[in-house]
Amino acid sequence: MSTGSYIRRFWQLYAMLLLPVSFFALFKYGPMYGVTIAFKDYNIFQGIWQSPWNGTETFREIFDMQTFKTALRNTFLLNFLDLAVSFPAPIILALMLNEVRQMRVKRVFQTVMYFPHFISWVIIGGLFLQIFATNSGIINQMLNHAGFQSIPFLSNKYWWLATYLVAGVWQSVGWGTIIYLAALTGINKELYEAAETDGAGRMKRMWHITLPGIRPTILMLLILAIGEMPRIGFERPFVLGNSMVSDFSEVLSTFVYKIGLQTGEFSIATAVGLFQSVIALVFLLGANTITRKFADQSIV
Amino acid sequence: MKQKNAGRLFESLNITLLFILAVLCLAPLLHIVSLSLSSGTEITSGRVTIFPRGFNIESYQQMLQDVSMFRSLLFTVVLTVTFTVLCMLMTILAAYPLTKKGLKGRKFILYFIVLTMYFGGGVIPDYMLTKGLHLLNSMWALILPGLISPFYMIIMMSFFRSIPQGLEEAAEIDGASFNGILMRIILPLSVPVLVTLSLFYAVGRWNGFSDSLYYITDPKLYPLQLKLYQIVMNSMLVGQDAAERLSQLENPILPESLKAASIIFSIVPIVIVYPWLQKYFVTGTMLGSVKE
Amino acid sequence: MEVFDRGNAPAGLTVTDNAGTRYAQKNFGDPNNIKLEFVPVPRSQEVDKLNVLMASGNAPDIVFTYDEGVAHKYMQQGGLTDVGSLIDQYGPNLKSYLGADTLAYGLWDNKQLSIPAKRAFTGMTSYMIRQDWLDKLGLAVPATTEETYQALKGFKDKQLGGQGTIPLGLALHEDEYIPLVMGLIKESPTEEDYYTKMQRLGVHEYPILFDGHKDAIRTLNQWYNEGLISPDFGLDKDQKVRKEGVSTGKVGMYSEQASQSFEGGDSGEQATLAKNVPGGTVTPVDPFTNDAGKHVKELNPPTGAYLMIPKTSKAAAQAVQYLDWLVQSNNLFYYKFNGPEGTGYQMQDGIPVQIKQSDIKPENNVFNSSDMTIISNGLELGSTDLNIKYLEQSYDPSYTARADAAFKLSITDAQPIHYFPKPIDAESKYAQVLKGKYEELLVKSIMAKPADFDKTYDDLFKQYMASGGSEIQKEREAAYKAMKP
Repeated sequence: MSTGSYIRRFWQLYAMLLLPVSFFALFKYGPMYGVTIAFKDYNIFQGIWQSPWNGTETFREIFDMQTFKTALRNTFLLNFLDLAVSFPAPIILALMLNEVRQMRVKRVFQTVMYFPHFISWVIIGGLFLQIFATNSGIINQMLNHAGFQSIPFLSNKYWWLATYLVAGVWQSVGWGTIIYLAALTGINKELYEAAETDGAGRMKRMWHITLPGIRPTILMLLILAIGEMPRIGFERPFVLGNSMVSDFSEVLSTFVYKIGLQTGEFSIATAVGLFQSVIALVFLLGANTITRKFADQSIV
Repeated sequence: MKQKNAGRLFESLNITLLFILAVLCLAPLLHIVSLSLSSGTEITSGRVTIFPRGFNIESYQQMLQDVSMFRSLLFTVVLTVTFTVLCMLMTILAAYPLTKKGLKGRKFILYFIVLTMYFGGGVIPDYMLTKGLHLLNSMWALILPGLISPFYMIIMMSFFRSIPQGLEEAAEIDGASFNGILMRIILPLSVPVLVTLSLFYAVGRWNGFSDSLYYITDPKLYPLQLKLYQIVMNSMLVGQDAAERLSQLENPILPESLKAASIIFSIVPIVIVYPWLQKYFVTGTMLGSVKE
Repeated sequence: MEVFDRGNAPAGLTVTDNAGTRYAQKNFGDPNNIKLEFVPVPRSQEVDKLNVLMASGNAPDIVFTYDEGVAHKYMQQGGLTDVGSLIDQYGPNLKSYLGADTLAYGLWDNKQLSIPAKRAFTGMTSYMIRQDWLDKLGLAVPATTEETYQALKGFKDKQLGGQGTIPLGLALHEDEYIPLVMGLIKESPTEEDYYTKMQRLGVHEYPILFDGHKDAIRTLNQWYNEGLISPDFGLDKDQKVRKEGVSTGKVGMYSEQASQSFEGGDSGEQATLAKNVPGGTVTPVDPFTNDAGKHVKELNPPTGAYLMIPKTSKAAAQAVQYLDWLVQSNNLFYYKFNGPEGTGYQMQDGIPVQIKQSDIKPENNVFNSSDMTIISNGLELGSTDLNIKYLEQSYDPSYTARADAAFKLSITDAQPIHYFPKPIDAESKYAQVLKGKYEELLVKSIMAKPADFDKTYDDLFKQYMASGGSEIQKEREAAYKAMKP
């Protein structure tokens, strides 16, 4: 194609990209010089440019801290478990909802399940304490009444992992379903009808029609989720965690909160963030390469 | 016959499981509603679970008297709608061209955008930029910096890609421009994902307040969530420092039930958006319309 | 001038425009030709927002924070105005109101980089016990650790709060565990001990290096295993469960910030207890004695918020003048009592007393008086007695006697914070991490089986020291030597 006809063909696409690209240049790359804080002895009054460089000293300081290493390990541990449990949960729920025939019932279920997304972790944490506390929690009181031992849902670190996962699933499953429901709308109804005349059962239809229909969405979200592995939200581990389970509940976000933000150590907070970002990018691109090779699908 | 029975069993099991999950999801909301309708004595005693105790509606009366709550609500609605519309426009503008394999520089631009998912300047440079653009204390400070989420853009791209290529090629042969293809083929076929992403943007804006914390000092421009956050955190923090507690003795404290009522006030408007959007989630709409 | 926004402005008012701000403009601004502007900062995120304001040079002329660590950071990084000479020149009232003690906390290398607010009353903690339970057991209010132990056992044996009685209520909150640990330490600390063996993590000092610390924890371990302490205290991070226990009449004794039980109006702890349990009353108690018979406890520093004037401010002199105006008693009283003498308050026995104003219009209400008078925490009226009397005004009259006792008890045998001329770097750096470690030590050691106690404690103690505890210890010892050659 000659340059002239290329431009004639594609100029509209470049015109469309003009605003988005300027947006990223201005609002995302404009402030990006802030990452240099990680390599500086940042003084809030001197500003980012004037503060003296200190090379990789901040990184060295962080890597020397035992608490950082624990937090790093726990971040991966919790995120990995989330990937194994919380990631498939909305897919399963979407499939279950898809099988509900009565539209009205289905809508009510969907709406109700999306509520927890709007309730802050502080409130959820209070509720979990009432329900799961080792001695005074509702569940354990019932167990005790029935003559069973208390289960340390929140105070034994292994049980705590389970509680943490349950809380995550519960809070996000309904919300996570929405995107799959959108994907499900793309499946041709005739495929189901044809399968039914062939005598395929529900499970078969689910396996051979529904799942393949949303496979691209699943893979795309999986790649994105793998890219999020080094990063972790602050509130869930912070609110649910406690000193008895800090072996598992101290993660990078809570570490930064304690050592960085509360004491105004911006250099440490930025360095940890930068470290996470680099790993995140490696993970994302890695996952992207793998799915491109084996599933012929990628996001970049 | 046997299969029919199995089907029925499956169906009732499915419904039962969903029902249990729905009840579990409803419980915390009921808890907050109950708190908002209960008396202080019952709340302090920790006896309010999912039914109100010492029923009264004082907290709602008190809250609804506060004009600033309604002003915040109105502002937040305007903010959220404006934000969502602009975000969707920008995201479509970015997502569509980037799905075109033949476009030169496509990869570069994609990486340029993906990098911003992970790298950013942080709070202080962001603030400096907003200040430099003279956006402080304006609604635009809460809109412009968040116009495109790369995550949502990638999701949109993935849905655009799933539209059969043949349709576009046919249109192109008929002489349609990319602009025309986008407007007449791609967007009409992508209604479910457009609705979904609009919901994501809208909910994100509705629930977000950390930017307003920095950029807004004019109480007239407080989003609802910022007001709510202050109300909820207020008494929690006062107890932290004895000095502050004793100095606060002479000032009014906010009862727990009022906090709960404020939470309800702030989540109801956004929660009712979803059922209304559900009519766009009908299986098979997309390919059905393609065939016509 | 920065002002906190707590989200509690009455309908129609804002923190930047109300009777209080107008009063300041009229009585200070106008005569001096100064236009006062109030910049709201959300209370809950004050540090985040302040950091951004400071970094961008957008800070108001007077900023403040309750976070001592943040204040020290600013002082250290050199972005603050040295107000020493300005106070001498423009702030005679300010100087005499705050006093040298309080001002000393704002010094950095002998420069007055910050103006700490005056804390009029430094009592920190008090303990409460169920008077009606003691009566049922025929016991007097316990005065020694041994008597207290017997009372707690009695509560437990007789199950005075019904099934699930908690003789000693506890939450994993420093306001509750520090008083217990301090009280149960048997040794009598010397002044040197306070300087070198305490570790200040945030608001409180932690006596982790005291010789008697381990045995104090051992006592708590023993009590826990005898079923005397809240079983789930390790999960109760925000005191909610403990407070519920008190309100529903399950808890026998507990520690808290002085007099807190009597606050909260109708939903306060004592108020709710009385409704739930007929005759249920808590009374202040000083339950623990050390080998010297003293009831050792901690005091707050004589400071409240730290006020600072950034170097970027062009109106430092006016800022000091404003504060000087603010601490003059008629102005302070105006804010605290919502009006001038005669309508807002009248003087009675040396203290200003609120005049009940039933006809006050909401738009004339200074709803955030304490934030407007951030320079003064409580009111300094010249003597501890008067300062306490002033505080008591905000309590329901039926609680006044007990609140008074609790306040007095909170300063009995209490130790002021032993302050170094320069803050300990390692403390500001590790405070949060170490607090977490200490709480882990506390919870796990107390909840251990008695046979495992030593091992659990020693392990966690080592971890604490390795996470920054030793650094604080070294720095404190060096600083003490430098101070007392």
